Amino acid sequence: MVGFRETEALRRNVLPDGRPLSAHDRERLLRPYLPPTPDSKSPSRAPSSSGKPQKSSRSKPSKGFLRQYLYVLIYTVIHALFSAYIRVRRAYHAIVDHIFAVLYYHHRTPELIRKDVSNLSRLPQHLSVILDFNDDEQDGGGGLEGLVNDVGEIAAWCASAGIPVVSIYEKTGVLKSYIPQTHRNISRTLESYFGTLKKPSLSLRAPHLPTFSPPATPPSAFATASDFSTSPFHITVLLLSAEDGRSTLVDLTKTLAEMSQRGKLSPADISAELIDAEISESVMGEPDLLVLFGPRVELKGYPPWQVRLTEIYHAPDNAGVGYQTFLRALHRFAKAKMRFGR
Amino acid sequence: MSSSLHLSQIRKWFSHSPPIEWAIQQLRELLIGALRQGPVPQHVAFVMDGNRRFARNHHIETVEGHNLGFEALARILEVCYKSGVKVVTIYAFSIENFKRSKYEVDALMDMAKVKLSQLAQHGDLLERYGASIRILGQRDLVKQDVLEAIDDAVALTSKHKRAILNVCFPYTSRDEITTAIRDTVADYSRPMKPPLKRPFSESHIVRNIRAQSISIANGEPDSQKSSREPSPGNAPDSTNASDFGTGSTTLHTSSAFEHEPKISDAPRDPSPTYPDPETITSATLTDHMFTAGMPPLDLMIRTSGVERLSDFMLWQSHQNTEIHFLDCLWPEFDLWQFLPVLVEWQWRRRKLAESDRGRKRVKLL
Repeated sequence: MVGFRETEALRRNVLPDGRPLSAHDRERLLRPYLPPTPDSKSPSRAPSSSGKPQKSSRSKPSKGFLRQYLYVLIYTVIHALFSAYIRVRRAYHAIVDHIFAVLYYHHRTPELIRKDVSNLSRLPQHLSVILDFNDDEQDGGGGLEGLVNDVGEIAAWCASAGIPVVSIYEKTGVLKSYIPQTHRNISRTLESYFGTLKKPSLSLRAPHLPTFSPPATPPSAFATASDFSTSPFHITVLLLSAEDGRSTLVDLTKTLAEMSQRGKLSPADISAELIDAEISESVMGEPDLLVLFGPRVELKGYPPWQVRLTEIYHAPDNAGVGYQTFLRALHRFAKAKMRFGR
Repeated sequence: MSSSLHLSQIRKWFSHSPPIEWAIQQLRELLIGALRQGPVPQHVAFVMDGNRRFARNHHIETVEGHNLGFEALARILEVCYKSGVKVVTIYAFSIENFKRSKYEVDALMDMAKVKLSQLAQHGDLLERYGASIRILGQRDLVKQDVLEAIDDAVALTSKHKRAILNVCFPYTSRDEITTAIRDTVADYSRPMKPPLKRPFSESHIVRNIRAQSISIANGEPDSQKSSREPSPGNAPDSTNASDFGTGSTTLHTSSAFEHEPKISDAPRDPSPTYPDPETITSATLTDHMFTAGMPPLDLMIRTSGVERLSDFMLWQSHQNTEIHFLDCLWPEFDLWQFLPVLVEWQWRRRKLAESDRGRKRVKLL
């Protein structure tokens, strides 16, 4: 780092005695701080005359050797300290998470969830989450069943909070091959939250696959007529996988290239608006909030085009899907502080 | 209030006194040297957010805030290149930023011009870091005089091979992706060159084959034939010969025609052949991005607590990039904030390497 006096001089472009700085002066100011010239890069070799002024060039080789040892030592110390630190940090985050989990629990009651979000200034209209498919029993993964349950819970929370669109990103896309089963499972979870009468209608969708929303059964039609003046809440769940990310853009490029080869389009016609229209129609629009349930921010192949302005929330060192994380994400999105206690 | 101001003055005086400054300098060198001992990210990206808020908090001009941000950038670049990072990408100016006040935009442009032309005056000093500057973004949105400064700086540092500094200047990632798609489409809709005339002529080959078969027929017919054609066992000799005969005649006639009208025929080229669009992969698009040929993005850091990508490196950061949102403002960002992030990255890399090794061992067992 350049020293304070030099920084000051560079910033003002004036020398301490008031003369304006010339190119030569600037070099003179910076010279002591520059690394040695490239030809003397290896520490064992003596630096050339123009390099960093060496106070004791005589004992240079052994000094370099010692320095190397010192570096390794410091590196080891830093990493030892860091692994201790990260343990403490994880424990701390786990405790905070537990406290929130105890204080804020949904008890499968939509009214409670609605109360939790009632003081928020805004809610996302399109929420997106990244889930992991973990089939390894030893790793604490819930496999397909766990994944489907998580999807059901998240859909129920969103429906209770009043978020109409949820997209679920899961890298491998296993859920896409079980759409009817997933639909049945989510419906069951919604039913356990809302009861059979007030159950919101659900449509489950995946890009390039037809929407799966079985016709409303007579009881629910009856319920709309008697219980609600307005139609019941409708929630759309969208399943995404890695092939809706970069691959979609590649597919679009292929199509455009083909059209251009047949002379139906000139490359100059391709604009961000065109791509945006195509992508949002075939996959989805931009989500407002992306919630990561993993321990760190990693997009894992999430559709790149759509995350442009999406708020990304993650709870550090968090693992697993929890209502408290979901709620903290919503609070963060509304720029509201979440206190201990309702 | 006044006492705290006084205190900060004393602290400032203390931390800028020569021995303390020297000690901090040495400490930095030691830490950077220590960082080099582990894995180091090859490509780091920074979103330099918070200059304006810093200026507002400290009651200084916005432009002054940007200036301080530039100094923070210089410090961080030094840390990066000394610790062995190959590519640093910074988000200097978004296309959206043109919507800011004209005064600020002009000041930023001026700053870019001044800093770049200063750099250009010190070509030999820059060489010590060995970093070449590249500008990523929409060139046609920049004014002519700034463009010249950019080109000078880029040309001057283009010889440097050790490291790269990507300056995203009028940049948005969507624009980058669009450009990449457009260029790919343009590449694929350029007709392929007609294949070069090969030095072998078909008629000559046919003649050769016929000559051979005649010599076979004349020489030892049975032994040669059985050894040469073991598979089509029931194919009679006569059909084979007639096949060659007809083939040769047609080829001969066609080649005879070809000799004269060849020149007039070639440029007409009724259906140009194009490369197959099915061969486009995400690697093709990656090669058409502004960051083509650079190592994948390992680490992305955004300061000032905003948890958004804001149209930066969408394509590059979507896979295994570790993204960190830090709460400090960019002018305050220094080694002390950067160090924990780097150490955490190193720690995770080592963990990954260990678990990989463990898995391999399991496989071997």
